[in-house]
Amino acid sequence: MPNQSPPTRYSAVAQGFHWIIAALIVTQFTLAWLADDLPLGARKLVLLARHKSFGMTILMLAVLRLVWRLFNRPPELPAGMTSIERTLARGTHMLFYALLFVMPLTGWMMSSAKNYSVSWFDQFTWPNLIAPDERAFAVLRTVHDTLSWLLFAVAILHILAALKHHFWNKDDVLKRMLPFTKSEKRS
Amino acid sequence: MKKFFVAVMSCVALVAAAAGAGNAAGYTADPQQSRLEFAGVQAGAEFKGVFHKFTAAVDFAPDALASSRIDVQIDMASVDSLDKDRDTTIRGKDIFDVAHNATAHYVTKTISKTAAGYAAVGSLTLRGVTKDVPIEFQFTPAAGSAKLAGTAKLNRLDFGVGQGDWKSTETIGDAVKINFSLVLKPKT
Repeated sequence: MPNQSPPTRYSAVAQGFHWIIAALIVTQFTLAWLADDLPLGARKLVLLARHKSFGMTILMLAVLRLVWRLFNRPPELPAGMTSIERTLARGTHMLFYALLFVMPLTGWMMSSAKNYSVSWFDQFTWPNLIAPDERAFAVLRTVHDTLSWLLFAVAILHILAALKHHFWNKDDVLKRMLPFTKSEKRS
Repeated sequence: MKKFFVAVMSCVALVAAAAGAGNAAGYTADPQQSRLEFAGVQAGAEFKGVFHKFTAAVDFAPDALASSRIDVQIDMASVDSLDKDRDTTIRGKDIFDVAHNATAHYVTKTISKTAAGYAAVGSLTLRGVTKDVPIEFQFTPAAGSAKLAGTAKLNRLDFGVGQGDWKSTETIGDAVKINFSLVLKPKT
């Protein structure tokens, strides 16, 4: 890599991954909540079909993002952070990466177990990961639901932490992930 | 007198031969080994199901297609798409309406030879609607049995399969593929 010193801002690619996936996750929660209350009907199937298509999009983006992340250093955490804060920040980010894979994969397995194969926006159909199985579906559904609450909680923590850095610590942790802004130069 | 006797015997033989040629062998499908499968498209992805209960009476001989016939009765409530929720919905009044149309019936009207095997046109009565549906199949005789396997395509909306919300072909495609594989045993 030409640049040996860590960057001070997230690159455009990193910001792109971050905000696109964030928007997709918000969409996912919305679609899941809308579909959850509906009886089995055309509208529910449409909502869940979109949920699955967006979910598979997130999975594909997660693969690209992880590969990209392995070869590109993110900016360093601000110097003033305590070791507990650093551990918490790293743990949160690792959990996010894990959930970016686990959420779509458990969803995909759920669909397979229920014999409702996953289409990607009507363009092609993903293969079933497991054979149809009612009990497997029930277990996977519980896992997918529970992890969605974990994801929700981690996202809230992540947002509150970003706001705390911005308004309380007055550092550039939030700004360096925002497009169209400039981070203050830190020496 | 002798001439007359020969003439009579010849007539008997001719009639017997004619009757023999026109008689297709009678079979019934073995329910254990026979399979009736359908495939539709749901939210962009194919899903498959089977009917567990159906009976098929088949009269068939390759050299007597005119008197050959395939007659199938399907118990619509025996539908199984490997998901109970979906099966309950399919049996409901908007789709199969099994409460009012418990069985579907298919019987061939004409059977003809094709390059690949045989083609037939038959009338399908499904959800109270009767319409012609063509099928293509292969007939493979074996010792003491025979196999009849083939495919058909139909449009579910031709038969009113899908009312209300389910009329839309955006969520559930109109085209349905049918696959069947019958193991035939001689009629007893």
